[in-house]
Amino acid sequence: MRRILIIDDEDDIREVAALSLEATAGWEILTANSGAKGIDIAVAEQPDAILMDVMMPEVDGPTTFRNMQQNPAISSIPVLLLTAKVQGVDQRRFAGLGVAAVLFKPFDPLTLADQISEVLGWSKNSHSEQPVPSEPAV
Amino acid sequence: MPENQPRKQTNSPSEDFSEGIDDLLADLWQRHLPTLRERLDLLARTAAEATTGTLNEITRAEGQSIAHKLSGNLGMFGHHKAGDLASQIEHIFKAPTPETLPLLAGLTRNLRETLAANL
Repeated sequence: MRRILIIDDEDDIREVAALSLEATAGWEILTANSGAKGIDIAVAEQPDAILMDVMMPEVDGPTTFRNMQQNPAISSIPVLLLTAKVQGVDQRRFAGLGVAAVLFKPFDPLTLADQISEVLGWSKNSHSEQPVPSEPAV
Repeated sequence: MPENQPRKQTNSPSEDFSEGIDDLLADLWQRHLPTLRERLDLLARTAAEATTGTLNEITRAEGQSIAHKLSGNLGMFGHHKAGDLASQIEHIFKAPTPETLPLLAGLTRNLRETLAANL
């Protein structure tokens, strides 16, 4: 079963995103209301992906992402940023970060899992992912 | 099957699924109404300050933050027009001018009216 960590300071965003991903894809959802707590949970739980808000008090999403990149325990976990529709300067700001994707608010609860699956190359409604067995050496 | 029996209307599985999520979203909306009402009240007060020329940097930033949250949240619950109004309000708070500040009162009023039936 895919495990997704949602990091957002807004209660209703976390709840709607969690509801959406649980109901439409059957994924297991972890949540955090700050970047610092998100990093702690990511280290402890090793989610398959992280969905993180850009605008958060104290430490914003891009800064949290850079902190995650400095931590070998979680630097390989794909991160998708979640933000209001952006223009110009903000697009340039995100382009060089190295996140897996930037998703825009408001998101459609019925299609959020599809968006995440598409950018990460996951099969839709993957309740479990079994590694493809490699061909035996000859 | 007996004749002259009315066919029972049933949803397709996808329709049942969407209805299920809609019901859950409606429940979440109800639980977050107090926060929404508080934010609308704060926006109205901040817009009033803008009209009277008493808006300071703290209340400007507060108005921008609240409008930003609303622009991101309302659309999730299907209130796209309200979300667009909140986005317009956010942009005015972000870079206010003497020409745009007077627009805030009308926009915040429109926002509340757009949501009135769901408050």
